[in-house]
Amino acid sequence: MYKRLFIAFCCLSIYSCAPSHFVKPLEKKQHAANVSLGGPLIKFGTATIPIPFITATYGYGIDSTLTGFASVNVTSALYGNVQLELGATKQLLKQKNYWPAVSFNPVVNFIYHDKNAYKIYPQLDLNAFWEYGKRKNFFYIGVDNWFELSSKKAFDLKQQNKWLVSSMIGHTFNGKKWNFNIEAKVIAPHLSNKDIVVDYQTPLRDKGAFGIYFGYTRKF
Amino acid sequence: MKRIILFVTIILLSSCLRLDDNLFNESKLSEYKLENYTGEVDFRLDYNYAIPDSMVHLFTLPSQASDESSATTIYAVYIGNISEITTDTVIMYCHGNKDHMDFYWQRAKLLANTKNKNRFGVMMIDYRGYGMSEGKPSEKALYADVDAALKWLKNKGLTNDRLVMYGFSMGTAPATKITANNNYSLFPAKLLLEAPFASAEVMVQDGSGLALPGSTVTDLQINNGEEIKKVQQPFFWIHGENDDFLSINTHGSVVYNNYQGTYKEQHRIPGAEHSTIQTVMGFSNYLNAVGDFICTH
Repeated sequence: MYKRLFIAFCCLSIYSCAPSHFVKPLEKKQHAANVSLGGPLIKFGTATIPIPFITATYGYGIDSTLTGFASVNVTSALYGNVQLELGATKQLLKQKNYWPAVSFNPVVNFIYHDKNAYKIYPQLDLNAFWEYGKRKNFFYIGVDNWFELSSKKAFDLKQQNKWLVSSMIGHTFNGKKWNFNIEAKVIAPHLSNKDIVVDYQTPLRDKGAFGIYFGYTRKF
Repeated sequence: MKRIILFVTIILLSSCLRLDDNLFNESKLSEYKLENYTGEVDFRLDYNYAIPDSMVHLFTLPSQASDESSATTIYAVYIGNISEITTDTVIMYCHGNKDHMDFYWQRAKLLANTKNKNRFGVMMIDYRGYGMSEGKPSEKALYADVDAALKWLKNKGLTNDRLVMYGFSMGTAPATKITANNNYSLFPAKLLLEAPFASAEVMVQDGSGLALPGSTVTDLQINNGEEIKKVQQPFFWIHGENDDFLSINTHGSVVYNNYQGTYKEQHRIPGAEHSTIQTVMGFSNYLNAVGDFICTH
């Protein structure tokens, strides 16, 4: 066999298909629609490309420190799956000079193909962000935690990976009606990426994957 | 609203993408060069392993699954004396998912040196879409194409007891399926699997790190880990311990452990990767292991 197999989807990517959602909460009663594109870098032929995951997200500011959101993984939908994320962003701390604002996102990820093939993955993100300048652009860093609830996988093999950690760094350009976001993510650096069908391209060599994401948000 | 309708429509209309075709990594050829092929190969044998031209037969076969209305022409190579198929033992070599028979020629030629030169006949085909074979590869076609070769061998006088099935990588799927189910033209007497995969689902789970159902991305039913449970014939498994494509632990070991037949032996090759078992092990050691299994069990 050769490394082309299953290159497009399966990866370390189900849990790295999107950048962080609403690191900073929306204003109270504000709506926002976001589209993000990007994913883990893989070797495809002689080139290194991000897996082109597309995620569409809708968010609503419940109050000034709490935003609810729902996402659809469009790429997963192309494969006949309903993959949804339902979650919220809660800001815990405000920024004080160099001390960042802190938020967290509890999220439920749900992927459904048919009655015999569906999964639920809880996720918890922790974020710190620093606003600066007139436009209130901000940098952020964060940790993304996915939890695998199954103890067994195919052929009753033990599911070794129960807690999948990724860390990210990003920047959001803030406009009146829009945001533009870029994020880099180190995905599951504690897991080996050897002996699998996908060639991940990562500075960590045989560990995890490295993802790049772009997002555009329209606020209304 | 129009945008929402467009979005939903795209989702509904496009819900048929699957990764099934990614199983196949075929290349087309305008002619077969076999020994004179100068493209990339995993290894090249020296003159000690040369096969006389008179023992190399390139020809076409009609391949037709039971529910197909017409046959597809595929190419085959037989290494050996065709007139002696009535008495010879024949290795049916099912190649991997990459390229074509020119790429696998050295591997087939090596097997033709098992024990002594041309002691065993070796049959190899290009699946549909590979090399000069017509058509498009598919899981169903894999089985039909190998069965077309078995039909030809049967017509030349081969019997079940002298058929040895050998599968490498993707080729382990038709090799296992046909050895497990007695409803093809011949029913092999022995099974050898080199770097087998357990199932498409294991590939998905290895790739994702999660216990994700395989059907979320593929409709492939290939499942050597289950099929092997039906195999009663003697079984030989060889796998590189450093296989960086199909893990020896999640793929090969599962197949080996699930075998419940009369005899099995395993060869875990330290230092060998997916395509380097023969070179790491050494050609003569490899041939001795294969030959001893075929002759003894």
